[in-house]
Amino acid sequence: MQNDSKMIGCSRRWFGVAVVALMASCKGGGDAGPAPAASAGATKKVKFTIGVSQCNLGEPWRVQMNAEIKAAAQKNSEIVDVTWRDAQNDTLKQRAQVEELVQAKVDLLIISPKEAQPLTDPVAKVFDAGIPVIVLDRAVLGDKYTTFIGADNKKIGKAAGEWVKQVLGGKGKVVELKGLMTSTPGQDRNAGFREALQGSEIEVAFEADMKWLEPDARKEMDSALSRLPKIDLVYAHNDPGAHGAYLAAKAAGREKEMKFVGIDALPHEGVAYVEQGLLDATFQYPTGGREAVDAAVKILRGEKVAKTMTLGSRMFTKDNAKDGGKAIE
Amino acid sequence: MTKAAKWLRGPLARAVFALVLVLMLGVIFPAEGAFYRAGTHLGAWRQMAVHGILALGLLPVILTGGIDLAVGSMLGLVAVVVAKLVMHLGFAGLSGVLVGILVGAACGATSGALVAIARVQPFVATLAMMVFARGLGKTISGGMKVATAVAGPDGVMRYVDVPPLFKALDAQLAGGGLAVVSLVFVVVAVIVGALTGFHRIGRYWLAIGGNEEAARLSGVPVTAAKIGAYVWCGVCAAIAGLCHAAQEQQGDPEAGTTYELTAIAMVVLGGTSLAGGRGGVGLTLLGVFTIGYLDKILSINAVPEASRLMLTGLIVVLAVLAQKSGRSS
Repeated sequence: MQNDSKMIGCSRRWFGVAVVALMASCKGGGDAGPAPAASAGATKKVKFTIGVSQCNLGEPWRVQMNAEIKAAAQKNSEIVDVTWRDAQNDTLKQRAQVEELVQAKVDLLIISPKEAQPLTDPVAKVFDAGIPVIVLDRAVLGDKYTTFIGADNKKIGKAAGEWVKQVLGGKGKVVELKGLMTSTPGQDRNAGFREALQGSEIEVAFEADMKWLEPDARKEMDSALSRLPKIDLVYAHNDPGAHGAYLAAKAAGREKEMKFVGIDALPHEGVAYVEQGLLDATFQYPTGGREAVDAAVKILRGEKVAKTMTLGSRMFTKDNAKDGGKAIE
Repeated sequence: MTKAAKWLRGPLARAVFALVLVLMLGVIFPAEGAFYRAGTHLGAWRQMAVHGILALGLLPVILTGGIDLAVGSMLGLVAVVVAKLVMHLGFAGLSGVLVGILVGAACGATSGALVAIARVQPFVATLAMMVFARGLGKTISGGMKVATAVAGPDGVMRYVDVPPLFKALDAQLAGGGLAVVSLVFVVVAVIVGALTGFHRIGRYWLAIGGNEEAARLSGVPVTAAKIGAYVWCGVCAAIAGLCHAAQEQQGDPEAGTTYELTAIAMVVLGGTSLAGGRGGVGLTLLGVFTIGYLDKILSINAVPEASRLMLTGLIVVLAVLAQKSGRSS
């Protein structure tokens, strides 16, 4: 094992590793050798194991990410198998799980880290041990990983702002329901949106932090409704927030007065709301699950991939939601 | 001491004082007159209903000197179960309500049995129920929100209507404004008021909280009364779960996270002692209104999240200090 030095004398962990290793060997059927990526191209029809370290399956968006990875892996099932870990939003647990996956001799690691600093070292150690690492959605520091795949929240916020400017004809009163403003996605979705509105006569007349939560969004929207006699549009940093705002406006009998715009565009959430006519638009924040598996297959075949891949976003409106939305350039 | 002076030193006056303190904030900061609009108050009553029902459920448990940390998780579990039944599986509204309440009662009975029969500390027993119920809710929902969009086996979305049960619970009466959930809150308050004030079980709860051994020796059925308190708490959490799911038009497995803290704060702020044996429904209602109004007033003034947290902490401490000085004199 490559990581003996890291193993602290912890019998429970050894037991866990043993079980995982046992499971992996049963699944892999014995042909899943620890072949390094470089020599993989030569031996055909070899099956590889991908370890997926997900930081938190408590969010629908991350459940969707895993679902996309699973679907993409099934399409490539003659090449790859997937072993899953869920760190339940706990950085140290995720670190331990990364070590577990290495002990289980995965051939490639896909990690969506909870936070950069504490997971940079564990990821670098995996990379140094010759296991390719795909970092998904949230970055780690430095350059000790194979490729980073993520989307650009600021760009998406800006696209939303541009769209808002267009549908409002450059002027109007807007309510902004923000995600956690102590989180990067919240800050970026705010900054991009505001950047796009600059120079227009659109005024953000009410803004509040709804902490990504639908009940909070509904509450804050209630306050906006009781303060503002006229609202032209609500921009929420995620679709549940926009949905909560819609329900608040509907309860006040004012939902027809304004438009609702959200972000994320999960198929069963934002896109569904748009198709049902509750939201007017939603901007996709792609999970990158499929792209990660595609990159993994390339890497395992010995092909080169770019160090950074920025995912494109799509806009869904009532007119195009059924056809899969429209790409944003 | 005259009657009036005695009242002024009592816990009721202190609780009224805390509420008046908060309402004064609204008078000083009316948010462009929004505080004086009827809609703002009707909205505040609707928003405090879910937390308030949880608090009314917690009251008997706290009277016995116990605590139930699982109310938020039970809320989420019932929201998911009921949404699944009436939205996806086509159950009638009434059977959804019955099953939901049974689930809550069963969770409560389990906690109660652990506390009263197995003599596990309430904090530990209900902490276990808190994580278990959350896990069960996530298992049943598959980690996704149970909403009007249902993914078919082929991944294509199909839409179901919002069930009549949810529409009825989220409806507004008297020309719009007075929410049904506020009435549900009032009904629950009347029931718990009757139980604590006029039924002998209320005296049992107080006696157990005052001195459990003395209560046992004087013939109070301690075990049954304690289990009864936790069952009532579970039933209230289920009712809150129904109201929550109806307002969101979905069953969110994450619903109710940290609600237990707000609900406990509401009970304690009213002047009900966490040590048990002292308190009542009137005090709890004042606590519910104090925190509910504080939340609303901060929201209509669009106070930033960071300041909101600090202000809430400060005002809770002030109110509790007022309670304390009332008691020591």
